[in-house]
Amino acid sequence: MSAVGGAVRGGLTRKRVQTMVIGLVLLVSTGASVLAVALLVDSHSPFDHAFTAQRGADLVVTSDPAKASSAQLAATRKLTGVTAASGPFATATVETKTNGGPAGPGGGPGGTQDLPPLTLAGRASPGGPVDDVVLQSGHWPKAAGQLVLDLGGGGGELPPFQLGTKFTVQGMPSHPVLTLVGTAVSVTSSAAGWVTPAEAATLASGNQTSGTQMLYRFAHAGNTAAIKADTKTIAAALPAGAIIGTQSWLAADLAETGNISAFVPFLIAFGVIGLVMSALIVANVVSGAVVAGYRRIGILKSIGFTPRQIVVAYTSQAAIPAVIGCLGGIVLGNLLAIPVLHNAEQIYGVGSLQVPVWVDVAVPAVLCAIVGLAAILPALRAGRLSAVQAIAIGRAPKTGRGYAAHRLFGRLALPRPVTIGLAAPFARPARTTMTLVAILLGATAVTFAVGLSSSLNRVVEGLRRTEEVPVTVSLPSSGIGVNVGRISIKHGPGGNSAAGQSPPVKQPSEATAQRTITAALRAQPGTKRYVAQADGSVTVAGLTQQVQLTAFQGNASWTGYALITGHWYTGPGQAVVPTHFLTETGKSVGDTVTLLVGDKQAKVRIVGEVFLTRNSGLYVLTDYQTLVNADATQGFPIDRYNVALKPGVSAADYTSSLQARLGNAFYFVMQNNQASDVIDLMITLIGTLTLLLAIVAGLGVLNTIVLQTRERVHDLGVFKAVGMTPGQTIVMAICWVAGIGIVASVMAVPLGMVVHGYVLPAMAHAVDLGLPASFLNVYKPGELVVLGLAGIVIAVAGALLPASWAAATKTGAALHAE
Amino acid sequence: MDTLVAIDNLTKRYSNTGRPALDGVSLTVQTGEAVAIMGPSGSGKSTLLNLMAGLDRPTSGSVTVDGQRIDSLSETGSAKFRREQVGMIFQFFNLLDDLTVIDNVLLPAQLAGLGRAAAKARAEELLIALRIERHKNAYPGRLSGGERQRVAIARALVNRPRLLLADEPTGALDTATGEEIGQLLLDLNSSGLTLLLVTHNPDLAAKYATRTIELSDGQVFRDSSDSITQVRR
Repeated sequence: MSAVGGAVRGGLTRKRVQTMVIGLVLLVSTGASVLAVALLVDSHSPFDHAFTAQRGADLVVTSDPAKASSAQLAATRKLTGVTAASGPFATATVETKTNGGPAGPGGGPGGTQDLPPLTLAGRASPGGPVDDVVLQSGHWPKAAGQLVLDLGGGGGELPPFQLGTKFTVQGMPSHPVLTLVGTAVSVTSSAAGWVTPAEAATLASGNQTSGTQMLYRFAHAGNTAAIKADTKTIAAALPAGAIIGTQSWLAADLAETGNISAFVPFLIAFGVIGLVMSALIVANVVSGAVVAGYRRIGILKSIGFTPRQIVVAYTSQAAIPAVIGCLGGIVLGNLLAIPVLHNAEQIYGVGSLQVPVWVDVAVPAVLCAIVGLAAILPALRAGRLSAVQAIAIGRAPKTGRGYAAHRLFGRLALPRPVTIGLAAPFARPARTTMTLVAILLGATAVTFAVGLSSSLNRVVEGLRRTEEVPVTVSLPSSGIGVNVGRISIKHGPGGNSAAGQSPPVKQPSEATAQRTITAALRAQPGTKRYVAQADGSVTVAGLTQQVQLTAFQGNASWTGYALITGHWYTGPGQAVVPTHFLTETGKSVGDTVTLLVGDKQAKVRIVGEVFLTRNSGLYVLTDYQTLVNADATQGFPIDRYNVALKPGVSAADYTSSLQARLGNAFYFVMQNNQASDVIDLMITLIGTLTLLLAIVAGLGVLNTIVLQTRERVHDLGVFKAVGMTPGQTIVMAICWVAGIGIVASVMAVPLGMVVHGYVLPAMAHAVDLGLPASFLNVYKPGELVVLGLAGIVIAVAGALLPASWAAATKTGAALHAE
Repeated sequence: MDTLVAIDNLTKRYSNTGRPALDGVSLTVQTGEAVAIMGPSGSGKSTLLNLMAGLDRPTSGSVTVDGQRIDSLSETGSAKFRREQVGMIFQFFNLLDDLTVIDNVLLPAQLAGLGRAAAKARAEELLIALRIERHKNAYPGRLSGGERQRVAIARALVNRPRLLLADEPTGALDTATGEEIGQLLLDLNSSGLTLLLVTHNPDLAAKYATRTIELSDGQVFRDSSDSITQVRR
């Protein structure tokens, strides 16, 4: 073995604890970083990734089987511009009842219940050149009577039915029963469910809502205009009037981004902070370890080691455990990512998310580079020192350093082990600073994470508005409650008509429905107030994309939309809009914008900026009278009621009761209380990363105490010789870092708040999302006090183990140690 | 005179192989005695001292000090025993460099829970008695060897121990200073303090100890009190 090899081996075996600390720090840091980066990567355009991976359909065309034959449809595969196609698949939109499952439409208990119409497609297998459906549970239908349901791309809208749930098809004399045998995800939600082709044919026979589905991918389908052109090409190849509905991938994309985009900035913010903190702590621990080896470096130099050999030896001593730690960290990160990514798959409505291979390579490579740098710099310095200097620096703190602190702390009316411990950090200012930085970063991460979680909750609340609008009542035409069937994409900008058709049941007229609902709301005890709304699409000069507009019939200032600037509209002709709308149109609060509603025009003055991510932030909220005044109510049916409840009224009870009053046939009373899977995912992720960062910070503390114990082993012997008990020794060793922990805590709270206050708006701004002040002012005084303890907890937790080692030091040996 | 220290068949092994550091040593020390333990390097002197101070545990046998079995005490019990019963001084003083003279002296009293005022009064009394009062706010690094050993003695006496264990107390001092410290130890012994002195120096042992125990290869080779010379096995 070479001299350098011997020195490396000697260093590794003699300083096992330090070797282990470096390995552990890298293990946890790599694990945390792999997890954070994987989530960042997978959260970046998850729809685009899934769309590519699953060969999503650019266009779903449903045609009338009576007008277009299978051969004619099959021939469209070869049309110019079509790059791939699947189908034809028979479809049928059916009314069903279940024998159980989760909650009814009103949120009441499960049981026999009517369900919204489901558009089912007959497919022999989930795969194919277009729309590779990813099975999430169970198996693909193999026989008649078997059903796989779509989990709902981008929103998880389908209630979680258990496998085995029976769905009885209504409106057919034989009342066929379909058994749920699996769940799956179609990235563009081409159907609400799938059955065998034979089953689909049976369901379609005699069913006025039957159709034939073709799924296409085109050479050009990047925007609405391209999709329109593609649709025209298909339509031209089929008999006139054969197409009864189309669905563009743009609709699914919009639904997806509307849900996820609000959270991406938060995720990125935390991921970046986590990575930076990991890197700093790793650098801290490694450089501390090398500096602690100065005395040995001096001895090696005195026996003839060159500076170059010193650098190689000490870099290797850090690199070997670091590389082992990194390799373990890759495994740890991937293991931690499994449940988190599995949740993400379901939330994003995509088939399969994995830690990309390049993340498994790049993250450890970067961390190893940091280790190398952190080790080389102090080793280079040590290499340049004379042997005597290196020994002097490594052996003991500079004479006189920290003495004053001992005198000062000695006067405090505290137990002597405490005051000795508190004064100790002053003897090693560089090490103390590094320890302070480690604890500070860990505690800052905790403060930031708590603020981030609170902000996320505010975001979710701002989007869901459950406090203000705990209950909504919808008509079928609203799309609410029938989303599972995906029979209508009338509000989706990518589509131009229904992909399926309405069920063959007689609906009440709009006026009748409104009278019925308002009468029920007035009669229902517990109603505090309500406001009706109409939704539709408008265009704005200069914008190629369609803008969604919600018009409220009455005062809607209480509906909980969080204002960023300006005020809620106070009358017709005024509107509030999201940040992205302002950016896209180049307008500001106070400006006037012209809305094109069909062939009518409505001018509105923007009076406020609200937090709203639906339709990618291309949205307008205004008074219904604005449309009335412009004679532009066509296409804006009043089909939803926002309901506020009196204090103390149970939303669940109210929902059930109102649903019973209105009946199940046409009206859907929804309790606005669905748990947010996205927020759960984010909070799980934030919690995991924070814990990992706190562990890394704790390991930094452990490292300090180990160094301190080794350095002060002789003093420990003296203390014990004059009667210091093990308990007092532990207290003293903990106090070596407790003071630093207190200082770090005091600094970490404001620092975490500053990071939170700066990073979140910056990240949100990067994706053109404004944040209301209430989303940022989330720290409560009591919470800050608890957060103030974070640094102390990290310090004490990191110090406990080595403090007990210090207490167990053999006095006799210690007294003879230098 | 009462028996202050009773050591019975004491054996200490640091490893399973090789000879023991102490091998079946038995002896007693009476209150007020000044005992010098002598022997060459590796004879077991320091091991014996460590076991008597409760700094280490024997492999077998027992150590009783003032009627208390200290070989079976817990670590905390041993620490309290040292605080209350034993004062220790060392060849290289073992003072804490970052504490002032008075803070060094105060330390055992403070660890024992004595109030700062009472502890300070006692420490100052000792510093005056040992003629180093003027250095009380100085750091040990600024003192001469003799002064440092005086500080160490003051620290050893602050809790009024019954037994003073001294490990080569003059080993790091010049002759004149060594004489001074030896005389000081003699005075302390004369005042009733039991002294157990580990030394290489036969002159020191002859001058300041009333009894000499010689160790060799972990066994008592000679004990002047009973004039029995043991033959090496």
